[in-house]
Amino acid sequence: MESGETGDAPARFNVGDRVRVKDLPNLFYSRTQMYVRGVRGTIAARTYEDLLPEDEAWNRDDAQPEQFYIVRFRQKDLWDGYPFENDTLQTELPDRWLEPAGN
Amino acid sequence: MAQTHEHGDHSHPAAPMVEEISDFEILEIAVRELAIEKGLFTAEDHRKFTEWAEQIGPAGGSRLVAKAWVDPAFKARVLTDAVAACREIGIDWAEPTGQGTPSDYMELRVLEDTPTLHHVIVCTLCSCYPRPLLGHSPYWYRSPNYRRRLVRWPRHVLAEFGLILPPEVEIRVEDSNQKCRFMVLPLRPAGSENWTEEQLAEIVTRDCMIGVALPRPDRKADDVRPVHQASRPVGGEHHEPGSGP
Repeated sequence: MESGETGDAPARFNVGDRVRVKDLPNLFYSRTQMYVRGVRGTIAARTYEDLLPEDEAWNRDDAQPEQFYIVRFRQKDLWDGYPFENDTLQTELPDRWLEPAGN
Repeated sequence: MAQTHEHGDHSHPAAPMVEEISDFEILEIAVRELAIEKGLFTAEDHRKFTEWAEQIGPAGGSRLVAKAWVDPAFKARVLTDAVAACREIGIDWAEPTGQGTPSDYMELRVLEDTPTLHHVIVCTLCSCYPRPLLGHSPYWYRSPNYRRRLVRWPRHVLAEFGLILPPEVEIRVEDSNQKCRFMVLPLRPAGSENWTEEQLAEIVTRDCMIGVALPRPDRKADDVRPVHQASRPVGGEHHEPGSGP
């Protein structure tokens, strides 16, 4: 990951925005689960700004902090043939792992 | 004791029931011993911290839920700033270092159940758990079986805990994979009207705050557990096969 300039990266997403989880390469360490990659979800909450786990794992304290979000997915979107219409799953992801997804 | 077991035409000694120490356990011991040698802390400090961390237990979470049930203003604070609300009931997430323990960050979100929404928590990556409120997680919470199956088959896993919810109720799995910690605020059960906060806290067991059980007015954390008699008790009367029970 690129080392940061001064200041935090601006938070790009708001609660309710549709996003897709990127499928970035694993550079030795990641906390982005394989099962959410490429899947579309909705921003449920903004949590905090912090270093990416990929940077923190290597003590890159000068890297740029980013906004983290709780993202809500429909279970039917995560798993083929999931049989219950209403069920959902939430997990937390940093800004860099998300891209805008239309409705 | 070397027992053997057979594979048709041959038999060999059973593998001893000894778990190998993992690389991470070796690393932890090495770093700890170096820190003690360097004088950063003593072995006694380490023991005292371990003792402190392991005595926490889920009673703080039970008190938080009970107070939220009887005090709507407190509940509102729990849902907006849970770490501050914890301080009101005497639980400080900053203990013991001033910024929490090394893996319990100062980020807590309490997930409120409704008649149509039920939450359950998991950490698929390892074992993230709201330890200042609930103490150490149960062994099954850290098991690969629970972690990998809860996200994929939540209703099946909940059914194994004896919790079967109708399809209309949305089940929301919260996978705690970063620095937020989560706890479930379950629904107050019918039959607990006019109870005191202390009475209510008794029925909010650990599993209710993980989301694998619902509070019931007839089930307390310190209840005597049901005992089922063994069908063939040791030292009981011996029966020959075929002689009946």
